[in-house]
Amino acid sequence: MILKTFIKETKELFREGRVRISLIIVLLLLGVAVWISARQYHTVNEQYITAKTTERSVWDDQGEKNPHSAAHYGTYAFKPKYPLALVDQGVDKYVGTSIFLEAHNRNDAQFSAAADQTGLARFGDLTPDFILLFIIPLLIILLGYNSLTKEHEMGTFSLLKSQGISFLKMILGKWTALFLPILLITLALFLIAGMVLSRVEDFGVFQWDALLTMCLIYIFYYAVFTNLVLIVSALVRKSGVSLVISLSVWIIACLVTPKMATNVANNQHPYPTAQEFATNIAKDKEKGLDGHNPWSEESKKLEQNVLAEHGVDSLHQLPFNFDGYRMQKGEEHAAEVYFKHYKLLKSQYEKQSNVYQSLAVLSPYLPTRFISMAVAHTDYGAHWDFSDAAENYRITTQKYLNEHFAENSDYGEWGWQADADFWKELPAFEYEPRTLKSTLKTHKGNLGIIGGWLLFSFGALLLTSKRF
Amino acid sequence: MIITNNLTKKYSEHIALDKLKLVVEEGEIYCLLGANGAGKTTTINLLLGFLKPTSGRAMINGLNVGDNPKATKQFLAYIPENLMLYPSLTAVENLDYFSGIAGKKLTTKELRQFLEEAGLQSNAFTKRISTFSKGMRQKVGIAIALAKDAKVLLLDEPTSGLDPKASNEFGQLLQKLRSRGVATLMATHDLFRAKEVATHIGIMKNGVLMKELVAKDISLSVLEQAYLDTMNYKESVL
Repeated sequence: MILKTFIKETKELFREGRVRISLIIVLLLLGVAVWISARQYHTVNEQYITAKTTERSVWDDQGEKNPHSAAHYGTYAFKPKYPLALVDQGVDKYVGTSIFLEAHNRNDAQFSAAADQTGLARFGDLTPDFILLFIIPLLIILLGYNSLTKEHEMGTFSLLKSQGISFLKMILGKWTALFLPILLITLALFLIAGMVLSRVEDFGVFQWDALLTMCLIYIFYYAVFTNLVLIVSALVRKSGVSLVISLSVWIIACLVTPKMATNVANNQHPYPTAQEFATNIAKDKEKGLDGHNPWSEESKKLEQNVLAEHGVDSLHQLPFNFDGYRMQKGEEHAAEVYFKHYKLLKSQYEKQSNVYQSLAVLSPYLPTRFISMAVAHTDYGAHWDFSDAAENYRITTQKYLNEHFAENSDYGEWGWQADADFWKELPAFEYEPRTLKSTLKTHKGNLGIIGGWLLFSFGALLLTSKRF
Repeated sequence: MIITNNLTKKYSEHIALDKLKLVVEEGEIYCLLGANGAGKTTTINLLLGFLKPTSGRAMINGLNVGDNPKATKQFLAYIPENLMLYPSLTAVENLDYFSGIAGKKLTTKELRQFLEEAGLQSNAFTKRISTFSKGMRQKVGIAIALAKDAKVLLLDEPTSGLDPKASNEFGQLLQKLRSRGVATLMATHDLFRAKEVATHIGIMKNGVLMKELVAKDISLSVLEQAYLDTMNYKESVL
């Protein structure tokens, strides 16, 4: 009976102009979105490769120079674009693409794509994730809102009952007929994306398992929407009412709850303003050692400790350049201050994430969105990870430069210069994003919530079959 | 075989059906006559299990409908006043689906045979139901009953709105089913068609079966007079 109902529903669906037009529109939108994203992706990645290569050659070719001057001259850590960003761009557009790495300061990422756009960008972009998260659920509503109400409206319900139909099997047949076209569209999209991305060179490491995970998450999301639409269609008698209720569910799940979650999260766990954040860091930095200030109390203490440790009376008698040593100690203090303040910032981010997660019980959109972005390495978590990796590289670089200065020059010899080849010996910044396993572990709460949505909605759908 | 034993349906104080006692044997066509609200459709809905009786029993082929809602449905076929089928499916597809959910696995050839037996023209088999007249849809309904091999046929005003030719064809189809031993209960306003097809006729008023007649023993004019007398009798009592 499930198969019979599935075949019947599928024939009905595809013989209706409304359905054919909806499917064509969604496929067209999806095609255009993938094409636009692929183009943007190519452009951004080419820029990334060019910028990374150019910046490294600028660093390598800076000639003879004092290492601390080079530290101030600085370099850049460029955030790579990952293949799955083609499918879900996440917050990439807003968080910046590169971090300037210099002595004494931890800088935030800059040059965000959004900053380069005009006010028209406020209308949003046509991207695959927009189609996947917003438009396909709408398509499910359009295809399924009258799935059960039509039986009442057409008058076929009494005939079905008189034939002794099993309503559970009828609902499962209708579920399959509604879900299968969506499943095929989703599988086709991800298969095409996988084939395209696995063949493109210099685009980061493409992983089929990550793509499959993302695909599965969207399939769960659509299964939840399919269940919700059929539940509504089973509970009301008129197709118009069913459509309005289903659209209201979509509005609440996809538009209202995410915005509400943002407001609640910001109100409950606000981030400090950029000014407050900078002021607090500056205050804490002042409390410790400043590598550039040899006359400060902290510098004098360090001086005495080092002299005592080496059993000498003068800084000139030390086996290394104390200026370089002091610079390094100053860097270490600054790094600790930055670590403390960024830890606070991350703690707020985690608290906000928990608020989002708790509100995800109101909307299957939220857990799907978060897992999708995380798997694509385009969420805030991925950005923090990159930012921390860049900071670790900055700290290592400063240590490398300061130690080279300290070990190869004499105290007070600020005019000393490192060889022109020295810069090439500094290992390039390489960043490996979190593994899929670690990402999924971080998002096990969201995975649980989307799983809960799936079970709850299936259970509710099966229960509705008992009311017939 | 259809049996109702003191079958009663009340909606709070309103009695829709009052202690109905009825027997329709195999090969009989029982027509229930009566004005709107007489209890004809309520009787059919109780036999279908769509309504639960307040008291009494409705039996199909020896099984109590209330206790065996699924089992009794395998014996019966139902054609309402406006048989609605899936408009975007063809006659064959509709028959395939409705016989399929009744547990029948039929080949296309068999499906076409049932439609042909129900009197549908072969060029209509693969046409969408949306292009069908009411008479053609009723024929598909009969084909569904044939395909299901129903022992009991419940009809609720099946000839209402049919032109005389279509109504006559429908009557002939009922006779064909009767000859196969199908027990038919038909609610109708159509005295002429009742006289034409029925073996037994019952006249209902306000939920009560007022009179039972054997069709072959009476003429149409006698039936008409009995009907009018029943209606007037009730009115004078009230």
